[in-house]
Amino acid sequence: MIIVPMALIVVTLTWGLIRIAPGNFYSGEKKLPAAVEATIRKKYGLDEPWYKQYGMMISNVIRGDFGDSLKYQGQTVNEIIWRHLPYSATIGILAYLLALAIGLLAGTYAAMKQNSVLDFGPMSLAMLGLSVPNFVLAPILVIFFAFTLYLFPPARWGGPSSLVLPVITLAAIYAAYIARLTRAGMLEVLRSDYIRTARAKGLSDWTVLFRHAFRGGILPVISFTGPALAALLAGTVVVEKVYALPGLGDIFIKAVLNRDEPLILGIVAFLSILIMLFNLIVDISYGFLDPRIRYE
Amino acid sequence: MMERQGYSRVIVGISALLIAALAFGCASRPSGQFFGKTEPPANNTLRYVSGSEPETLDPQISDGQPEARIYMAIYEGLVECDPKDQQPIPAIAKSWEASPNLDEFVFHLRDNAKWSDGKPITARDFVYSMRRGFSPETISRTAQLGFFIKYAEAFKSGFVFVKKNGEFLLEKDFGGVEKDSQRIGPETEFSKFLHSPARVTIDGDEKKRNKALAADPKLAEAVKGAELVPVTAEDIGVEAIDDLTLRISLRQGAPFYIGLFANQFFRLVPAQSIEKNGKNWTRPQNIVTNGPFRVKEYRPYDVLSLEKDPNYWDAANVHLDGIEFYPIEELSTIMNLYKAGSIDAMLNHAVPSSWIGEMRGYKDEYLNFPEMSTAYYAMNVTKPPFDDIRIRRAFSLGLDREALSSFRKVTKPLYYMSPTGVFHDYDKAMAKVSEEKRAEKGVSPEEWAKNIKFDPEQARKLLTDAGFPVAKNGDTYSCPTFPTDKVTLTFNTNENNRSIAEFVQSQWKQNMGITVPLKTMEFKTFLPFFKGLEYSGFSQLLWSGDYVDPYSFLSLEYGKANEGGSGFYDPKFDKMLDDANSELDMQKRYEMVARAEFYLMDQVPVIPLTVNATNWIKKPYVKGMYPNPGTLIPWKFVYFEKDPAKWDKDVANIFTTPDPKFDKQLEDLKSTQQAVAK
Repeated sequence: MIIVPMALIVVTLTWGLIRIAPGNFYSGEKKLPAAVEATIRKKYGLDEPWYKQYGMMISNVIRGDFGDSLKYQGQTVNEIIWRHLPYSATIGILAYLLALAIGLLAGTYAAMKQNSVLDFGPMSLAMLGLSVPNFVLAPILVIFFAFTLYLFPPARWGGPSSLVLPVITLAAIYAAYIARLTRAGMLEVLRSDYIRTARAKGLSDWTVLFRHAFRGGILPVISFTGPALAALLAGTVVVEKVYALPGLGDIFIKAVLNRDEPLILGIVAFLSILIMLFNLIVDISYGFLDPRIRYE
Repeated sequence: MMERQGYSRVIVGISALLIAALAFGCASRPSGQFFGKTEPPANNTLRYVSGSEPETLDPQISDGQPEARIYMAIYEGLVECDPKDQQPIPAIAKSWEASPNLDEFVFHLRDNAKWSDGKPITARDFVYSMRRGFSPETISRTAQLGFFIKYAEAFKSGFVFVKKNGEFLLEKDFGGVEKDSQRIGPETEFSKFLHSPARVTIDGDEKKRNKALAADPKLAEAVKGAELVPVTAEDIGVEAIDDLTLRISLRQGAPFYIGLFANQFFRLVPAQSIEKNGKNWTRPQNIVTNGPFRVKEYRPYDVLSLEKDPNYWDAANVHLDGIEFYPIEELSTIMNLYKAGSIDAMLNHAVPSSWIGEMRGYKDEYLNFPEMSTAYYAMNVTKPPFDDIRIRRAFSLGLDREALSSFRKVTKPLYYMSPTGVFHDYDKAMAKVSEEKRAEKGVSPEEWAKNIKFDPEQARKLLTDAGFPVAKNGDTYSCPTFPTDKVTLTFNTNENNRSIAEFVQSQWKQNMGITVPLKTMEFKTFLPFFKGLEYSGFSQLLWSGDYVDPYSFLSLEYGKANEGGSGFYDPKFDKMLDDANSELDMQKRYEMVARAEFYLMDQVPVIPLTVNATNWIKKPYVKGMYPNPGTLIPWKFVYFEKDPAKWDKDVANIFTTPDPKFDKQLEDLKSTQQAVAK
């Protein structure tokens, strides 16, 4: 229930920052006639004292209605968010699933074979995945898969094949992160007493691993999932730009550059609620995974 | 052992996949002559990257270039741009006439022009569109272009007429010069009003009015106790004489004005949809258009998909079945799509600087032509030390533009306010005036060129004269007293701007021993800083012409509240331009404008840097699309050539290579106006 006041605080801070930033949405290379500027100020309530404008803004936010975008005339903020969320969400969720699959597998495997080639190999790869930024990885993938192998289109949304490169690009860094988290988590769990007990009972390696160790071992991954998934859902600027995808991330950046206040506030509010919601879900899921945590 | 076996199985699997992929890939590998896959699309639909996401589909609102190109596909106005030289060619107006002093135009409209909903287009649609565009309620960033139209500015600015004792106050009684205006077309009640002496208009806002009146006691006295009558939409100089005849009256002669009617602001907007749907009229389900193409599907940030409009009056001469506009800004992504054959052409300046060298090699695709835009540094003439003309001139002469443009690769050096190489007849006039000036001064041509272009010695001398002595230490210079802590060179954050600034900075350091600090700003932050003349020193501006005439550039320094960014104002310069614009002989006018330009450059309000060049590529099978000075593409001329033998070869000659299909279409279209002109 803390979500709502928290979101309001975030929105307030954002609103303040927008107001401090120089320039406004209607400033351009050509000067507007004074009467037109007056029309604009009146239309958007900019001629009211700041506390009235703030009040109007907050009441809009509470009603979940952010009004019209200032830049894209005739489009409402809610419409823009809901129209572009599915693109970001599709890429984001697919990328996260891929990252989970690769990361959990590699991390678990590495933990089991600690200090062997099978540990160092995947972990060095993971280190590489973490340190290669996606704006470097993306062009490499494009050159290789689009221009050498001619397997996938280099950019734009359209059909499943167009999703492959963005999903891989986006997944790389998360897969690497998850692999390292999993390895660390599993290593800790595998050394714990209850695993030794389980082994002592004569259970097979696989049973120990999946029935006993896994649940505890992936806790760090679960807590990472909350914010990561929220961020992925809301779009990732670089991947959307490089692959020319109509996701939310790029729109957010443009909104800031355009000083498109309602759109900025809408996305910020949406994003902050999303992050808090996912964290809540993560906290709750702890209870199911870790017998030591129980909510009364 | 087990593990190793598992490993090798994986490796074999991956290799097999790679080999299969390579084999598959080879089949569609492009040949080396062209850049990437080169195959006309089977569905006869052009795929064009248009740049940033269009702000709106309402042509009267946005001043963006990406938008302008889209509007050209879906809206039409009185005239359209010639695809090659951007001069006006007939569109909905099949012909037009001008009054002798070029301040009034009568347009004869086609009787078969229709909206996409089938409704016929009449002169009243133009009257509606202009009244809407000039209304203070319409937040238009291009309406200023129409301020030559009588009372348009007064209406847009919410001004009022002043009526005293039943008579309106007239400008000629308050210092205004009554311009001789001649009517063209039949006399009507409205034309009598427009051709009666110009009325005084003053600000409708009381505070601002009082401020303005304080400076003009005579007018203030006259306004006292007078009735204030708002300027309305019905007062502006646009009149539907009948269904197919439109008359537009200007407040002064403007020889370049017909070309302006191709601007997005003057394209038609649909009264039938706007009145019904309000701000939602541009939504795909409500939008009504009148261009060669209509909206088929719009997915913002992804694609704006157009289809040929069968209702368009010239549909028989529209070659493409559709156009897809992709809003993409990331340059390397655009290049990737082009290489993969997923797009056919792109907006100007889409080739990233790191690719230019390679792209120049693709002679059938890379388009490098002079562009109607200039880059310059404005100097704030209202703040020291740049209020001293000697300092301004020193910095201008201390910069080697030849070196700058060869460093920049895609530009040519520029020494004037208006770009060279775009206005051909004007360039001749400039050369003539330059020669006159040289003869007047009695210097050798070499000396004269030095005077205008690059003369570091003179630059150092000027600085020394202005009280900032330049000392020579070995091979380098120093100017310790110049207040470098007070001046900056400010530019809008952008890689190109930075590289220009760094180059210029090093030149000044080398030639005058002054290191001007650089400062970069995000665009929206930069604008008020620059326009409000808050800066001291230099600010970079990139200006693209709105119409094919040097006035589009010289007007940057015209008037008190001009857009030039230097704070420059000189009534003598304004007068020279006014006189030139009322000259009817085109060549004479150009010479007068050229003299004004020389006069302006003598005051050095700006340091011109470069004339930019177009920098984009198109597939050789795309025909009827030309790199004109503003990269404005009339889309109905564009077609795909299926026969590789007829594809574009060596596009350096694209303007002179005949294209029978295109040439005939253009000739036929122009013929209706040529018949009248004769």
